[in-house]
Amino acid sequence: MNLAPLHDLAAALRLRRIWWRLGLQDIRRRFRRSVLGVGWIFIQLAVTIAALGIVYGHLLGQDMRTFLPFLAVGLVLWGFITASVVEGGQAFVLSEGYIKQIGLPIQVYVFRAFVSITIASAISLSSYVVVALAYAVPIGWGTLWGVPGLLLMTAVGFLLALIFAHLTASFRDTPHLASTALQILFFVTPVLWPGELLRGRRVQWVVDANPLYHLLEVVRRPLLSSEPAAMVDYLVTVGVLAVLIVVAFVVVAAYSRRIVYLL
Amino acid sequence: MARIALDEVDIDFTADVHRRTTLKATLFDMLRPRRTSPRTIHALRGVSLTIGPGERLGLIGPNGAGKTTLLKVMAGIYPPPRGEARIEGRVCPLFEFATGFEMDATGWDNIRTRALLLGMDAREIEEKIDEVASFSELGDFLDLPVRCYSSGMLLRLAFATSTAVDPEILLLDEVMATGDAFFLDRARARLDQMMERARIVVFATHALELLPKVCERTIWLDHGRQVLDGPTAAVVSAYLDGVEHRKLSEGERDAGG
Repeated sequence: MNLAPLHDLAAALRLRRIWWRLGLQDIRRRFRRSVLGVGWIFIQLAVTIAALGIVYGHLLGQDMRTFLPFLAVGLVLWGFITASVVEGGQAFVLSEGYIKQIGLPIQVYVFRAFVSITIASAISLSSYVVVALAYAVPIGWGTLWGVPGLLLMTAVGFLLALIFAHLTASFRDTPHLASTALQILFFVTPVLWPGELLRGRRVQWVVDANPLYHLLEVVRRPLLSSEPAAMVDYLVTVGVLAVLIVVAFVVVAAYSRRIVYLL
Repeated sequence: MARIALDEVDIDFTADVHRRTTLKATLFDMLRPRRTSPRTIHALRGVSLTIGPGERLGLIGPNGAGKTTLLKVMAGIYPPPRGEARIEGRVCPLFEFATGFEMDATGWDNIRTRALLLGMDAREIEEKIDEVASFSELGDFLDLPVRCYSSGMLLRLAFATSTAVDPEILLLDEVMATGDAFFLDRARARLDQMMERARIVVFATHALELLPKVCERTIWLDHGRQVLDGPTAAVVSAYLDGVEHRKLSEGERDAGG
């Protein structure tokens, strides 16, 4: 087995000063010349929550005090997953100039992309705090279960970015395919609607069989109810992580040393 | 310890990369194998060489001979799919200066970023940044985003930063092609100093008259193969003979046809 790509990954991780700086630069650039700057992340989320919250809340007969915080966490987390796949997927394509000029281990540019994805998501997660305070979401020691949840979520996001960066550079159809898939998944995954609504119905399996649901729950449950998520949620999430690690290993081994020729 | 060892390195480029990299094309290729074989360009074929500390190596050859590709293999940019490339030592590639700017960042920020990318650490950057700034002669412009710079100013910024590195292995690719005349003289002097600091220099050029002053050893590349590897004077004169010869035979063919 060729372990060289794995060494590249470790070498890339050690160059953290580089990817951290480039990542920060990316996030600054995104907002530099706009008047509201990072404020746009809050505004975007606030408007989306307000619009979707009112329509879907009434449509589904939800109590706004619990539905709006639920919607807020869900949208932030979903945004993170989408960004990991779509923006993370562009990691090599957007860093082409560097890749062809300087012989750094190529995964540096995945870390770079992931820095700005993570920071943008962290900022929008902090806007959830406003919603949570406004609607008196229960906060206690149980909320801390959100920390391992967020760590699992971050690990999944990074692996998705790593996998999709390689796939996007190798097959340029990937971003189109991925955003189509994500759009469908967005509607069948309980983000806009609580999964409990399907409890006891024949289509309940749509929720239970969806790994993304369990992944969301691992963060959402502690933050919304100050208690750990269900055991099955953790098990599925760890399972997802294991599968992604294997896939990432295969993809990195197969493609990472060919990327520069494909750009 | 600075050392470059290449063993039977082959580098191919697929001519119509984009055809093959869509899912559709891949599926079609699976359905109809061999029908559409993409054109392959052999950029390097069976290149083997060893460069040890203290060596100054020149690369010559016509356009498309593989000089830049070979430099990029030495820089670790192209991992060879066949053959082996072992590069030991801190590499500084000076290829083209047009890329790698953060257009909305200031000159100062761009100096720091580029220096970091070229392997300087934070302390080294702080030590050298004033000297880089003064060599660039950009003055107050350094406080502005580089998108306000002219291309000459961008070149000076990149050159000043890149040549501040203390590389063990210095890879140069026709870097002196652009820039205003005054800067060119100072740049040449600075480049000379940098070459003296480096343990290994590999220099790809068309400036054959310059080469014997810089490199004691030269490799002549053609169509991705090493034609000749030896003392600069001998290789350059053989190369010139070859070029002359080719011109003559082409002349004869034209006359006959």
